[in-house]
Amino acid sequence: MTDLTSSLPTETAPEDQGKSESARLGFWLTLPTQLLVLFIALFPILMQLYISLTDWSPLDGIPWYRAYELWIGLLNYIDLWNDPRFWGAMWRTCIVMAICVPAQFLLGLGLAILFVDEFPGKRVLYSTALLPMMVVPAVAGYMFFMLFQSGGPVNNILSFFAGSPVTIAWLSDPNLALFAVILSDIWQWTPLMFLILLAGMVSVPQDQQMAAVLLGASWWRRFRTIVLPRMKTIIIIAIAIRVIENFKVFDNFYIMTGGGPGVATETISIHIYKVTQQDLIWGYVAAMALAILIVLSVVSGLAISRMRKAS
Amino acid sequence: MQRSLSFEIFRYTAIALFLALSLIPTLWMVSMAFKPIAEWQASGADLTWWPENPTLDNFRFIFGQSASELIVALERTAGRPILASLLSATFGTLIAMFAGTSAAYGLSRFGAGGNLPLALVQLRLFPPMAVMIPVMIMWAFLGMIDSWWGLALIYGIVTLPFAFWLMKTFFDDMPREIEDAALVEGCSRWRVFLRITLPMMRPALASSALFIFILNWSDYLIALLLTTRDWVTIPVYMASLSSSMTGQLYGAKAALGLIAAVPPVIMGIAIQKQLVRGLTFGALKE
Repeated sequence: MTDLTSSLPTETAPEDQGKSESARLGFWLTLPTQLLVLFIALFPILMQLYISLTDWSPLDGIPWYRAYELWIGLLNYIDLWNDPRFWGAMWRTCIVMAICVPAQFLLGLGLAILFVDEFPGKRVLYSTALLPMMVVPAVAGYMFFMLFQSGGPVNNILSFFAGSPVTIAWLSDPNLALFAVILSDIWQWTPLMFLILLAGMVSVPQDQQMAAVLLGASWWRRFRTIVLPRMKTIIIIAIAIRVIENFKVFDNFYIMTGGGPGVATETISIHIYKVTQQDLIWGYVAAMALAILIVLSVVSGLAISRMRKAS
Repeated sequence: MQRSLSFEIFRYTAIALFLALSLIPTLWMVSMAFKPIAEWQASGADLTWWPENPTLDNFRFIFGQSASELIVALERTAGRPILASLLSATFGTLIAMFAGTSAAYGLSRFGAGGNLPLALVQLRLFPPMAVMIPVMIMWAFLGMIDSWWGLALIYGIVTLPFAFWLMKTFFDDMPREIEDAALVEGCSRWRVFLRITLPMMRPALASSALFIFILNWSDYLIALLLTTRDWVTIPVYMASLSSSMTGQLYGAKAALGLIAAVPPVIMGIAIQKQLVRGLTFGALKE
């Protein structure tokens, strides 16, 4: 097990055959990827920067490169700063993250503890537990859409326990809708936490734990002082992955509610999508997207350099 | 480690409870897919958990045969979207694997690439929605809107970081003695890569490709933005399956959802051992 950053520094080429052949080969081998990255990163970001300084929309009837005719300078960025719907979507994305990630982590950790040692049936149960994660997210969204219909199975189960018909309109009540979409995310991605945490837990060496058992340490004490500290890197990786993915969340949310009712489940990706497709103010979208890219670059750059220093 | 009987009981109970909750959504969709219209339209107290008269009508319906009790006939059937998903995901995987594998080899053996690894991590970090405006403009300029090849290209780029990092860890793990021996024998570097390294990497290439195919196949957002009619993929087509006359076509959608769900589940089980490596960018190997 190595962490992300320690594999970053480049390894020196083998001494033989002369450096020039290796260098030439290295160049040609990495060329396609370099080109694709340039194609998707450099050019689009410059284009985005340019458009973000204009009031351009595809409906204006002029091509994007003539967007300077609609130059408005930094106005889009000022509007963005004062846009309550944008900040609302940001805030909602944070709430979703703040609920989903800890819930997935705790459930995944609990499940990993149950699976860490051998027991009959482990393989089958393990594969079954991973199932939700492999379902196409849009399809998962549709599954939960069906479950939470007012005449659907969730209300059916609740009716059974309540003894009288329950007809809660889950997806048209703002708070309940948020609850339902969060539940779908927890359902789908708890297995991922479980998978990663279990792999980490299995790799903790047994000898120290055995020694602690002989010394009479309780399970909880062993777990807290031996297992958890050794899993630190893995826990950080697992949580980082879910935070990143949760920030992008779109598919299941959009299928279930379309961001509604109102803006109750509108996360940042859904917000950008709606402004792109429905309001069609692309200059503004470009400003919003670029602002997010810059913030993410700074944050991730800081995080990566800190991780590098730590290792 | 020896555990007590009560712990074993607790373990199985807890796992059973978790699995039951986690399987309900999937089982409900499977059940809906095989229900005749009268059963999937039922709600509230009339709901049945399992199809009482199981039928393949929903599958026939989405492939264009008119179902006896549904008045509507589909304007477009599921065949084309399935083809679109297959083509775009497959060729996207090929692009990602081709570029990613060669770059990973270049970095792993010759230290080439400079800041490429970091750039690829960042590429993965950004929400696709945040670069979609320029991508839509560029794709329109290149005539690639609503085409499977346009989708394949963007899929290839989006999943390239995974291909690169996965293959890099596999190359790093591979012992170099065999390559070195071949070099001493007088093989050129290219020949060693093509004739010795790549064939040895076949299992790694296969599992990486399957992993990337799952990611491509699972996309919804990008296809929603870049396809409009002729080459919509399964998830986009599925979302459009509702008409004003029948409302939500639950059964038909469930049947389509089942078709979409099966390939990644089978592939995911096949590459279970490599999932951790793939999902953590190769940082964690099982």
